[in-house]
Amino acid sequence: MTQAAAAPSRRRRRLKLAMPALLGLPVSWLVVFLVAPAVIVALYSVNELSLFPGPHSFALGGWYRLFHGGFMSLFWKSAKMSLIVSALVVAAAYPLAYFLALSGTRRKYVLLLLLIAPFLTSYLLRVLAWKVILSDGGVINTFLVWLHLEAHGHSLSFLLYSRFAVMLVLGYVWLPFVALPIFVTLETLDFRLLEAASDLYASRLQAFLRVTLPLSLPGVVAAFLFVFIPTVGEFVTPSLVGGQAGYMYGNQIVDLFATGFPDWETGAALALFLIGVIAVLTIVFVRFLRIGEARAA
Amino acid sequence: MDVEGEPLDRRLSRADMLRLAALAAGAGVVAGPAAAADAAIARLTKETGRLQVMDWAGYGNDGGQSMFAAYVKKYPNNKPQFASPMTNETNAYGRIRAGAHPDLFRPYVGWVKFFAQSGLVQPWNPKLIRNFEHLNPFMVKAGQYRGKQYGIPDDWGFDAILYRKDKVHPKSNSWGLLFDERYKGKIAWFDDLEMITIAGLYLKAKNPWNQTSSELKRSVNFLKSKKHVARFNWSSETDLWQAFGSGEVWIAYAWPNDWVQMKKKLPVVYMHPKEKPIAWVGMFMLLKNSPRPHLAHAYVDAWSSARSGKWLEDNYGYGHANVEAKPSSSQLLKALQLANPKAVTLPNAYLDRDIPQRSTYANLWEEVKRA
Repeated sequence: MTQAAAAPSRRRRRLKLAMPALLGLPVSWLVVFLVAPAVIVALYSVNELSLFPGPHSFALGGWYRLFHGGFMSLFWKSAKMSLIVSALVVAAAYPLAYFLALSGTRRKYVLLLLLIAPFLTSYLLRVLAWKVILSDGGVINTFLVWLHLEAHGHSLSFLLYSRFAVMLVLGYVWLPFVALPIFVTLETLDFRLLEAASDLYASRLQAFLRVTLPLSLPGVVAAFLFVFIPTVGEFVTPSLVGGQAGYMYGNQIVDLFATGFPDWETGAALALFLIGVIAVLTIVFVRFLRIGEARAA
Repeated sequence: MDVEGEPLDRRLSRADMLRLAALAAGAGVVAGPAAAADAAIARLTKETGRLQVMDWAGYGNDGGQSMFAAYVKKYPNNKPQFASPMTNETNAYGRIRAGAHPDLFRPYVGWVKFFAQSGLVQPWNPKLIRNFEHLNPFMVKAGQYRGKQYGIPDDWGFDAILYRKDKVHPKSNSWGLLFDERYKGKIAWFDDLEMITIAGLYLKAKNPWNQTSSELKRSVNFLKSKKHVARFNWSSETDLWQAFGSGEVWIAYAWPNDWVQMKKKLPVVYMHPKEKPIAWVGMFMLLKNSPRPHLAHAYVDAWSSARSGKWLEDNYGYGHANVEAKPSSSQLLKALQLANPKAVTLPNAYLDRDIPQRSTYANLWEEVKRA
């Protein structure tokens, strides 16, 4: 009897010891590579740390400039571009993931592999390849000239060095990231629910709208965040294909740190603001998902 | 001898110099004075490790090897090791402040005063650079701050306008071509606060490098109003070449090397604007705590030779501070006035200079970009 009582208590103790051991590494990782750098950036943003030598004290100049120096309009411009890209990519990826997950084809994993195949090449190369496609003498313009749809020397200049170019390339780059979480959600769907909907005389569209879509919403939201979070702070793609019109918030952060004259104080404030916005958005989405899941249950 | 952390002047005390001279004189009988001086310096300093250099793209092992081949031959155990290329002086400044430790780096003339005042660099000892006497005296002077030689001049050139003569017909030779509405979408600006200076130059500010607040406001508003004519701001020459070569842009702020590269395939003109081009001179600067100051001097000496200069002129189309360096092409000689020792100054051009309100200029340029 005593032995039987001691066994679960030993198991509980082992669990208590195992938890910190298991969590230790990821938590340490987060502290060292996320929390500590964020604290350092925060100290730069209030001038407690400075690139310049000599005395420096707490100041909110960087934060003041963030809200009064015209940076917010740039942030909204980037956020809008990012929202459009995320929404369009999710809309484009959903049917793809739906087909792969629900079509029952035996080749779905091969097709999935094909979808993520571009990831086998470098990000930079994939973006640069678009320059070849979109440039004045590139594939699209040459094709249009060949079709006599545009005169030689009068190319569609909006294709490159524009907001359109940035959004197109970002969409292309992040499409597989969107398709994967939706695919996983759809593949784990309880198909008996669809059978039940069918038994209850729901049409295919009704079954999709009232069963499949609500149940796949966590995947959709996750996919949306997967695109929105990195693209809102993106700077490589706009640097390469954005030109004057495609300049984004991420480019501004880089420029404040590295070009013109270093202004790490304002740059740090901009970076922290971005982290804050993304954190708030993530929390809101997660809460929304939990409420949705609870309702579904 | 441990030399770390001491200024170079102190490291070579009078006794050392006498010893160096004696060694040079003694060995000179056998191997000539130059070799003796080299041997003496090497013995005197005992500097070890690879020379750490921070330079621009194209000036390291990515194409610029001929510039320092003599150094590598002489010091095979101390070959230069290049940090990732400088993208601009601010980038270099930030990296050094954040902990990068090159022995030497190469900002341009407008930054000499800034870096000399920053406390990050120390003056060179021109006596340790044999080719120093052949360097253009005007450029040498531009590398001085408070009488000390903080910058050793090397390459030089101009900021001006490159355009396609088959597509573009300028109303006049003017910086105004960068803002010409007729060529909207076919123009490339330079991604640098220098655009504020250029706007000031075009709008006839009294001192484009130190504009008054009303002049600055006018320059910034002008750039904002003309932003739509520029398709992009280039920060890397390869981006410019790709866009210019493919016909995406016909007009660009450019350097002589861009003209040299583009004229191989396209009918291009490197304009001399009536408001005058801006001239620049590269300046080697020695970091204060460099553990290899003598090797750094030897490296700069190799760069300063007439042979290196000729190679630079022939291959990159830039001028070289060594007045004995002459390019093979007379066209290049004429076009860039490489034979004119005062080409970088008035009445031919404005030599780039310190911008007292540098941070204001930078903030305003950022304002233009995000407008």
